[in-house]
Amino acid sequence: MNLFEKIFNYQLISRLEESGSYTLTSHERAWLKTMLAHPAADEAFMPETLRKLRAVLESEPTLGLSDHVVQKARSAERQVYHPLLRPLRRIIMNGSGIRLTFRLKNGGVYTGHYGFPYRLEYSMVKREWYLLWHHMRHQSFMSTRLANIVDVHEEAIAPDRSAALPAQISAQLEGRKETAIIEVVRLYNQELSRILYAFSCFEKEVDYDGDSDTYRIKLTFLGDESEYVLSKIRFLGKRVRVAEGARLQRRMLESTSKALARYAAETQ
Amino acid sequence: MAKESFDKEVQFLRMLVLTSGAYSRQQFAERLGISVHTFDKTLRRLKEIVGTVYQQLPETQGREFANMLRFNYYESADPMLLFLYRAKSVKESESYRLSVLIAALQQRSLTAMELLDVCCGGLPSDFPMPDEKTIRSDLRYLEEVGVVRREAGGRPYRYAIHNSLVNELTEQERIDLYAFVDVMANTQVPSVQGYLLRDSLKKAFKLQDAMEPFLYRYHYFSRILDEAHLFTLLHAIRDRRSITFLYFSPKNRQSYGSKNTNPLFERETEGKQARMLPLKVVYDHQYGRWYLLGYARHDIVKYRVEGITQIVEEEDKAEEALFAERMELLQLRTRFSWLIDTGRAVLIRARFFNPEGAKVNFIRERVELQGQWGEITETTGESFIYEITVNGTTEIKPWLRSFGSSCEVLEPLQLRREFIAEWKEIQAYYEPVRENL
Repeated sequence: MNLFEKIFNYQLISRLEESGSYTLTSHERAWLKTMLAHPAADEAFMPETLRKLRAVLESEPTLGLSDHVVQKARSAERQVYHPLLRPLRRIIMNGSGIRLTFRLKNGGVYTGHYGFPYRLEYSMVKREWYLLWHHMRHQSFMSTRLANIVDVHEEAIAPDRSAALPAQISAQLEGRKETAIIEVVRLYNQELSRILYAFSCFEKEVDYDGDSDTYRIKLTFLGDESEYVLSKIRFLGKRVRVAEGARLQRRMLESTSKALARYAAETQ
Repeated sequence: MAKESFDKEVQFLRMLVLTSGAYSRQQFAERLGISVHTFDKTLRRLKEIVGTVYQQLPETQGREFANMLRFNYYESADPMLLFLYRAKSVKESESYRLSVLIAALQQRSLTAMELLDVCCGGLPSDFPMPDEKTIRSDLRYLEEVGVVRREAGGRPYRYAIHNSLVNELTEQERIDLYAFVDVMANTQVPSVQGYLLRDSLKKAFKLQDAMEPFLYRYHYFSRILDEAHLFTLLHAIRDRRSITFLYFSPKNRQSYGSKNTNPLFERETEGKQARMLPLKVVYDHQYGRWYLLGYARHDIVKYRVEGITQIVEEEDKAEEALFAERMELLQLRTRFSWLIDTGRAVLIRARFFNPEGAKVNFIRERVELQGQWGEITETTGESFIYEITVNGTTEIKPWLRSFGSSCEVLEPLQLRREFIAEWKEIQAYYEPVRENL
């Protein structure tokens, strides 16, 4: 199987688009068949649809990866699909509001809160789905694990509100963005590739100063992500240091001091 | 004709995405081991593809191109790097012909001769008129990639488009399928065919480029670049064939060597020629990187897929018994690999401290989620002990360190000492700023 096929060529694709036609290759069907074997498929489709899809793909081969591809250091895959994903996706696509009952971290329950659903977000680290939504009364941005939703149903919302909210939410998120500059400690420039890979899941810009042979990575992230950013910085250890960003610097200093305190007997 | 290789484009895009336009043209070209002229040519070609696929013309400079490819979390649902897989070159007349054939077959099934008529009628006059042989070879190709199939019945054969997958679905089922493909392509590996399917379904269902409600946080979106090699490697493994390739260690400054046809102009490259019997491909979720493991020089060898270029499969197949023996050795040696380390197995014990005053014990949750086959052996009110046997301490170390002061390494003593020394060094980075804080 070669991924660079003539059939995927960009000019061909754009010509097909002009004529309103499309193609499905055996590559794509083999991939789909492989994915339909994943337990998530049972949650993603009505049983009848799943039967139909599997029947159509019956004579196709699978990608046959299982014997030759191994995945390492993966978070346990608790959840790929969640039963609420389908109904919530539909509500979002309809541009409707929601009436939500959900559990809080401390065990309490919030009942019947009116909101506007924005996106469904999957964390690749926690391997779990979240609903990002706007709380109408509190005018606040919320992120709720689907696993903590007790009940949700669609609720009408004024069309002008529904049209205006996404822009309002993204402006709100934009306002919560923070930046920090991470410098690659020059001694470890050789490991640049590894370091950049580690930060490749963030919005970033890299600057290179040829005179001092120094790389600086400007990270942009939401305020509530700073703990995850910190864990990445600690993950990389001596290779990087926070060059700008007082909060992260303070937390790194605190983190190292506390860590050393764990080994107090030997560090005295 | 030599097989078209996309090594240069893959390396080019990887550097562009990872360094996000940090380098000047000159620096960029130098690090890729290509001339500035080739840099410009490659960039032009990639832009043309992006421009055609996404109908938005990028600006002129490398930095702006990189900005366009930049991770913009809330706004782009389409995997931008996918356009790499649309780079296979096709003659203009051929792409025209294939599109006419597919469009005609979309309406109804046809024979080769009928298709020849359609084609001759549909092609602009400046293209050469195809003959029967050309049409038959086009059909053979389309059949090979599974786009059309020959209907049952005798000669002359009728060809039909192979789209039953979507034709038989109801509206709601189509929506569910599209959502499933989106989720699986983003959360599982491999992804490329999934993203291609996502594109095809979008066209089939006439979906607008409207907002996609799914987001994937902390996603290593550049990992799809390495999938370019994945199926070549899998093919060699399945066939038990050794491969040779030119390897550029990611630690070197240069990541590609132009293959000059004229030996007089051949430059010294930093790449090393390698040969091995490939056995396994490993995806590392910590960094979003791929590795190739195999057998060479009487031992298990390991390479990062991002450094592999110019793969050539050898003629001879390994004996089945010999291959099984190598595979068994690999299983044995990697049984306790946190990632791919085949060093000596060592027992690690660490104490993790529960968060103070938090409603949820997120430390324990994370250890249970990411601690692979390690076990929690003792639990007290404030802490718990985690034990794991791993090959060497190098690969697990970053993970343990990422917990900061919530993790205290107990054993082995050597690792404990290393942690103390490292925390001291890291602390020293922030000493100068202590007063300002």
